[in-house]
Amino acid sequence: MTGDPRKAFGPARLTRRTFLLGSAAVSGAVFLDACGSRERSTSTGPGRQLQLASPEHPVAWPVPKGSEPIPAGMQPERNATLKLFNWSEYINKDVVKDFEKQNKRYNVKVEVSTFNTMEEALAKLRSGKVAFDVFFPTYDRLGKLVQAGFLRALTHSYVPNIHRVWPTFSNPFYDQGWRFSVPYTVYKTKIAWRVDNVPEDVAKRPNPYDVLWDPRYKGRVGILDDYREAISMALLRNGGTDLNTGDQAQLEKARDELLRLATMVNPRVNNQNYIDLPEGRTWVNQAWSGDMVNAQYYFPKGQSAEVVRYWFSPDGKGAVNNDLMVLLRSGRNPVLGHRFLNYLLDYDVALKNLSFTGYQPPQTRITPEQLVTDGYIQANLKTAVVRPEYVTNGLRELELSPGVDSRWQRIWQEFKAGA
Amino acid sequence: MAAPAAAWLAGLFLLPFYVLLAIAFGTVDPLFRTPVPEWNPRYWDTTQLLGTVRDIVGRGAFLGPAVARTLVYVACASALCLAIGYPVAWFVARYGGRRRTPLLVLLLAPFWISYMMRLLAWVNLLQTDGLVNRALTGLGLLDQPFEWLGGRPVTVVSGLVYGYVPYMILVLFAALDRIDPSLLEAARDLGASRARTFLRVALPLSRSAILTGLIVVALPMSGDYFTNDLLSGSPHTAMSGNLINDAVSTPGQGGRGAVLVLLLMTVLIPPMLWYVTSTARQDRPEAA
Repeated sequence: MTGDPRKAFGPARLTRRTFLLGSAAVSGAVFLDACGSRERSTSTGPGRQLQLASPEHPVAWPVPKGSEPIPAGMQPERNATLKLFNWSEYINKDVVKDFEKQNKRYNVKVEVSTFNTMEEALAKLRSGKVAFDVFFPTYDRLGKLVQAGFLRALTHSYVPNIHRVWPTFSNPFYDQGWRFSVPYTVYKTKIAWRVDNVPEDVAKRPNPYDVLWDPRYKGRVGILDDYREAISMALLRNGGTDLNTGDQAQLEKARDELLRLATMVNPRVNNQNYIDLPEGRTWVNQAWSGDMVNAQYYFPKGQSAEVVRYWFSPDGKGAVNNDLMVLLRSGRNPVLGHRFLNYLLDYDVALKNLSFTGYQPPQTRITPEQLVTDGYIQANLKTAVVRPEYVTNGLRELELSPGVDSRWQRIWQEFKAGA
Repeated sequence: MAAPAAAWLAGLFLLPFYVLLAIAFGTVDPLFRTPVPEWNPRYWDTTQLLGTVRDIVGRGAFLGPAVARTLVYVACASALCLAIGYPVAWFVARYGGRRRTPLLVLLLAPFWISYMMRLLAWVNLLQTDGLVNRALTGLGLLDQPFEWLGGRPVTVVSGLVYGYVPYMILVLFAALDRIDPSLLEAARDLGASRARTFLRVALPLSRSAILTGLIVVALPMSGDYFTNDLLSGSPHTAMSGNLINDAVSTPGQGGRGAVLVLLLMTVLIPPMLWYVTSTARQDRPEAA
């Protein structure tokens, strides 16, 4: 079947009214509190449930009305502007331009709009006044996006490159059967440091997390400005392995640790460690692996990026997460959107994108050795490479129930307020 | 005649203020954790207001220190702005002569670059091996480089002073320039020393401008968040503006952000009203 998809099924308009109605229906079904992360699926009233996906409780999202996949075999939209909604500085502009060139015969333009936090992105999407085609959310928000009717289910025949990525993403726990999402990047969260300022091998400490609490580095410690990551780090330091816990005792202990950290090292709390570490403002930083790979480009002239090291638990027991690519129901170019998803899953394109973002695509062909020999990742940062087994065995930061989420946020507010 | 002003007030103050109230007294969307405004005052919910107030002044009030810190930082920075701004404004107004215009242009020049860009420049200047430390150690004022960017209150207060001192200078200059020189000359002719002339004549005549200047700098400082974000980033230097910014960007906390803004406004509106009424009084014709 061929033809103009916009004529075939019309622009999938998601008006503010439609959205709010859908959202209200789902919201009404949300169970407002939960006693802990064990409660991964919560009763929400008469016959309704809000499912929280987890590796133990994988979820196959039903396709809401209006979010149905487009028919297979359609021609891409002509003279269209494909609108991407992505994190700031999270896609290689050359990759975008190449896509335009590849689709020259359809006279395609690509427009990238950016956001800085998922909250900001969701607020914009909720307004119902934007018609982005492709969105790059974190996987823990997928359930909400699906249930609110924001997304369009994928037509798999347009995305043959799914076979190029790690098999786990063909049937991830958060989206069984990859009905709505394909993976964009994988990353882990641990500790980076500069060997020229930190005269020790952090990885060899009995508990490497202790370095972030070490008063010798007061004023030179950086913590991610992300409540999930920071509190998870305190939980991990205490020997915890559930990064989604609602256990009050564990959370209180993590809170005490964070407040102690604030007093002991007066940390710098932001997400610019890829600049702070190279410029020497911090010596030791909680950091996302992708940011550390990218940090090499931010070193002052004449300084070597070889001074950076990255520690990740050898057993893979650390925070490992991934970002997604999804199609928005409000997008007007669903065929092009599918093509773009498929394009970014291509091996060469994915590597080109990695060379700019620093964030690793979960491509099957990629090996840690190859990333180093090909110069995508420096040898001193080989530990920042994410292996497929980390994704399956690592610790995931899942969507929290609202009640547990509130408790986490309260700890974070207390920490951020310098109490 | 007052219609444009009324429209301006309604569009740019009353309406946004009502939205703020609706969010502060509204609820939270249980799915997306975004604020749900309640437009009808009959259904306003005070949960977020009371919760925030409890967190500022109640038992275990973890927001209290940041609020107290804001008051201290703003007081110090405003006083420093006055201490720096007054002599500068006095010099330009009294001794600027023909160079008054270029001097004023120089004072205004920093405004041509955004505050954020200027602060980013300071981040480089204040690095351990930055120009400031090199100058201070070179001059023998410091034995070793000072960690300006290591979460220091002094850096945040200095940043605030740097960012807002031009406002103080402009307000003071406008007032000092209007002081009739013959009044100062008369004091000198009557035997008053320079210091006494300043204390007994110039200072009382500029009292209103000083208060105005203090308000003009203290109001924006109270809501400032990126001076701390860029020059410190430490929770131990967080100010009210940071609390608001954090609340707004955290799921489920948008309502708390609105409440914090309301509380900040409650503190700031009285001096603002004083400023408006006192300027109106000054502008009234003498005869009236």
